[in-house]
Amino acid sequence: MTIALILVAAAVIALVIILRITFPGSLQVSRGVEDEQLQPIDVEAFRNLIDPTEGEYLRQKLPAPEFRRVQRRRLRATAHYVRAAGRNAALLVRIGQTAAGSSDAATAGAARELVENALLLRRNAAFALLRIYVAMTWPNSRLTASPFLHDYEQLSGAAMLLGRLQNPARPVRISAAP
Amino acid sequence: MLQAHSLLWNYLWVAPNVLLLIFGLVLWKRGLRHQFPGFLAFSILSPLANLAVFVADISPGVSAENFWRVDWACLLIESLLKFIVIGEVFSRLLNPYPSLARLGRNLVSGFGAALVLAATLAAALSHGGSPVRIVSAFHLLSQTVFIIELGLIVFAFLFASYFKLAWDRLSFGVLLGFGISSCVYLSCWAISANADPKSPWRIILDLIDMATYHACVLLWFYYLLVPGKAPAVEAAPRLPETNLELWNRELERLLQQ
Repeated sequence: MTIALILVAAAVIALVIILRITFPGSLQVSRGVEDEQLQPIDVEAFRNLIDPTEGEYLRQKLPAPEFRRVQRRRLRATAHYVRAAGRNAALLVRIGQTAAGSSDAATAGAARELVENALLLRRNAAFALLRIYVAMTWPNSRLTASPFLHDYEQLSGAAMLLGRLQNPARPVRISAAP
Repeated sequence: MLQAHSLLWNYLWVAPNVLLLIFGLVLWKRGLRHQFPGFLAFSILSPLANLAVFVADISPGVSAENFWRVDWACLLIESLLKFIVIGEVFSRLLNPYPSLARLGRNLVSGFGAALVLAATLAAALSHGGSPVRIVSAFHLLSQTVFIIELGLIVFAFLFASYFKLAWDRLSFGVLLGFGISSCVYLSCWAISANADPKSPWRIILDLIDMATYHACVLLWFYYLLVPGKAPAVEAAPRLPETNLELWNRELERLLQQ
């Protein structure tokens, strides 16, 4: 009887998940994105946060408990940036998917490239967040998020290209200058 | 009305299968057999197998044991076809995105293996709900199949939702139908296999199963026949205005440095 209750509860939860995912925005392409905004990201600040030499410097200068406290705060800030980048990537996937149907071959090509880069970034954001949360548990571990930053800069370039092709008068950037 | 072999019972057993056969023919006629070969096979073979079970049920010459053998064969065919269809839909979802294809396939394989273990554990903890071995084994196999099927479908929806992947209309409808039906079937078979429901309740569970199947066939017709709203490509959403302003502001700041 217990196993029946567990399985029925699992089935109900699964049904709720399926309906919540499918009905608010069943076909993602058809959803508008006007109400959502890209969040500019300060790449330089992010770069500082994940710079291994900065971390090493703090490790040498600060007492161990103080270093762990500071490192956790830096990791929380890093996670905030990564989450924002992941959200931007999700939005760019949808913008790119819609623009990929454009009659202009250059725009469609740039849109496809944008979608590919955004998907890679979204994937890496998930992995990076996982690593950050692990590092928060062990702040003494050495975290490297540089490949993620490289992906983000590549994505920014792809978004700018699509923005320029869609509207040459108005370039777009998703990384804020320092 | 809510009895075995009542008019409602017979209708719910026969009608969705006949409708699904018609659906298969429409799919074929519309030239979708190359795009959805697995679903086409499902929409033809599964109703034929289910109708064979119906014939075995109403034929006086078929013994109870032989009925369950036919039902077993039908379950195996249907389950195999459903997993093929889920794989087909997941491939169609991932094909336009080469950067995600490998990750998606690795994740679904790993998750599938975990589901098989979980379903095996659930089967080991269940008693089958019947003293007759062939019947209890049927209940356990159904429960196992629906745990794995539902897990894979939820995974596919979560994966697509996280990456904001665009579904084609029919793939989405197919998986939605399988998802809803798996939830209902899993609940019903879990009760049948573990809670020893009395005969009237078993019939009600059967009717719920069959009604859900009927609803899913109608849902597939809807996604096949009713065209979706095409995204306005030319009026594609521009990158948001406010971000352009932010970029301009950042540029000005850069120029002033």
